[in-house]
Amino acid sequence: MLVEAVLYDGKSSKEHEVVIDFTFGRRVKIASHGIDVALDDIEIDSRLGDTPRVLEFPNGVRCKSKENDKIDQILLDFNIKKSKTHKIESSWGLSLGAVLITIIFVVFMLTSGANYTANFIASILPQNTLDKVSKMTLDKLEDGYLYPTTLSEANRTILQKHFDKLTKGEKRYVLHFRSSNRIGPNAFALPSGDIVLTDQLVALSKDKEFRDILGVLAHEKGHVVNKHSLRMAIKTALSGVIIGYMTGDISILATGIPTVLINSSYSREFEKEADAHAVKELKKMNISTIYIANLFESLAQEHGMDENSTTLQLLSSHPLTKERIEYFKSFAKE
Amino acid sequence: MEHKSENRPTQYHTFSFKGSGSEYFRIWIVNIALTILTLGIYSAWAKVRTNRYIYANTYINGSNFEYNADPIKILIGRIVVVGIYATFVVFSQYLMMYEVAGVIAFIAFLLMPWLVRQAVSFKLRNTSYRNIPFKYRGKIGDFYIFFILHALLNIVTLFLAFPYSYVKFKKLIISNSEYGQGKFSFDGTTGEGYSTYILVFVWTTIFIIGIFMFIGLILVVLGSIFGGDGISETAQMASVLTDINSTIPLDANISYDNNMTYSNEYSKEELGLIGMVGTMFAFLVYLPIIFWQKGLSDGYFSNFVRNFSRLEDAPLKGSMSPFKLGVISATNIIMIIFSLGMLYPWAKIRYLRYKLENTHFRCSDYEQFESLGYEKGSTVGEEMVDFFDIDMGI
Repeated sequence: MLVEAVLYDGKSSKEHEVVIDFTFGRRVKIASHGIDVALDDIEIDSRLGDTPRVLEFPNGVRCKSKENDKIDQILLDFNIKKSKTHKIESSWGLSLGAVLITIIFVVFMLTSGANYTANFIASILPQNTLDKVSKMTLDKLEDGYLYPTTLSEANRTILQKHFDKLTKGEKRYVLHFRSSNRIGPNAFALPSGDIVLTDQLVALSKDKEFRDILGVLAHEKGHVVNKHSLRMAIKTALSGVIIGYMTGDISILATGIPTVLINSSYSREFEKEADAHAVKELKKMNISTIYIANLFESLAQEHGMDENSTTLQLLSSHPLTKERIEYFKSFAKE
Repeated sequence: MEHKSENRPTQYHTFSFKGSGSEYFRIWIVNIALTILTLGIYSAWAKVRTNRYIYANTYINGSNFEYNADPIKILIGRIVVVGIYATFVVFSQYLMMYEVAGVIAFIAFLLMPWLVRQAVSFKLRNTSYRNIPFKYRGKIGDFYIFFILHALLNIVTLFLAFPYSYVKFKKLIISNSEYGQGKFSFDGTTGEGYSTYILVFVWTTIFIIGIFMFIGLILVVLGSIFGGDGISETAQMASVLTDINSTIPLDANISYDNNMTYSNEYSKEELGLIGMVGTMFAFLVYLPIIFWQKGLSDGYFSNFVRNFSRLEDAPLKGSMSPFKLGVISATNIIMIIFSLGMLYPWAKIRYLRYKLENTHFRCSDYEQFESLGYEKGSTVGEEMVDFFDIDMGI
């Protein structure tokens, strides 16, 4: 079979129009240049779109041919293996498959994939790393945000008992009582299992036995158990990589756009998960969820919240308090 | 092709790109899918196929370019770079052994000039035209001298010397590049470097001021229509938007306690809304502005570099309109956003084609070049530059 090509002799940039003759006996001849070599001695590059095919001959001689189809036929006739990649690339059907694989992968990595990755990373991370990060954060907060508690010994004992029962005495969980006017009524968990509870939140409790605060503590423990901070970090990093790949420009990461995107959509999911954890724990301890619902309600009233707007709900970064109150109440009725 | 053209007045030939978006799309998406399925290993082959496709479709005077890198070598380079980076991250972020991480970072820092030279050399020696490879002859010592001198210079002058450094860097790269026995040279002057920087700066400033005046005008109109205080609200949004970003460091390590804070619950509802508006604002206004500016400066600098580069006595010429390149860049990013990335191949080719079709070369004899053979060498520098997305603009 004859194939038209341009030949470079490997010494200069001169181009020579030649005809390559693929003959029986697996010999390849170019009469005009006295070339007669075995087919196995030339290397035929894999096809790539319709770009000129490169055929490398011994001694730096190189030919380029636009007759891609003919060369494919020769490879087939002489039973030479060829790269399958072009076969995939040239088919719209298989390319569509590639699109699907990509989309499925991206969606998976941003949903449950992030959880698996978080669990995996958490399992290989030495616990003392989490502890160190948490300790550094806590130290930062202690400096200017948190002050020693003013709760009475008796109240603290009740709360500590609740906490111990909740955590079954697991050593990683430590409850810190602090006062903070700047942070206000709040409780938060660090990945190490340190949970900080402010006096201001305790002050809002209407239950003598602090069963509402117990609900809050269970919620915070849910954040730790579900490794929310790690998952958030992984999702943020992943979405950054994806956006960088999509736009072909990593510099977008510096704009903080991925962080904003991720924060608004995922923290909502995490809050729901932590709430569900709280419900589960409260049930186990045989405590009604009505207490935490009441605490939420009185907080809402105290701050004169306007919960009528439903348009905001869709855009909000977390479930509305009203929705969460309903959620807790629905379990209280059971 | 055999005729000599020495006695004719030589004309500029223009580069062209013969690839198509639909063909490139399939190569691109198959590359991504195979990279996913092979857990990243295929990425080296993907890089080679992408570059081969782009080079092979780039033509001048009827002949195309070639990309000859070996994927196995790229893979090794990638593994080395990722391995070192991962070690650094493990030591700095997880084990908190800052001394070890510091030593790794310091060694990488010391190797930087050498790695940059390696990357330049890799790109050139794996590019060929008419079976003649390009080559890089720059000395490692010159790179160290360049980086040390210019780092100090820019610290002392608070980066006012940057255009000067840019011109010197281009000279270091281009004047040490070769094609066969032919040598490239770059003779852009510092003065021209400064005027290019000033042009880019002035147009960017004027454009951004214009955009904000335009947005302001729209808000005034909206404000008067709805009778509310649209401007102050938007100003408020803008101020909170920056606030969201700046407060992240404090909350970053705390497990999500947002909803336990009730004292500012209402404002958090607003924050959600503002976050969405802000995100949309960012995507539809901020990103196109950034990309317009990138295109604009790319246009100016590409013209500058081309207009002062020669291969022996054969000059290159750039005739891009920086504004048009800016518009292409900005509309590309909008295309990419609305297609969730799927139009990326078309966008890339559109941008590349415009640049190539405005690049010209005047050579009296394309057949005069002699091959000095293909060379081999390390890929680590190239992969480092690739991994950290350092743009050297060669």
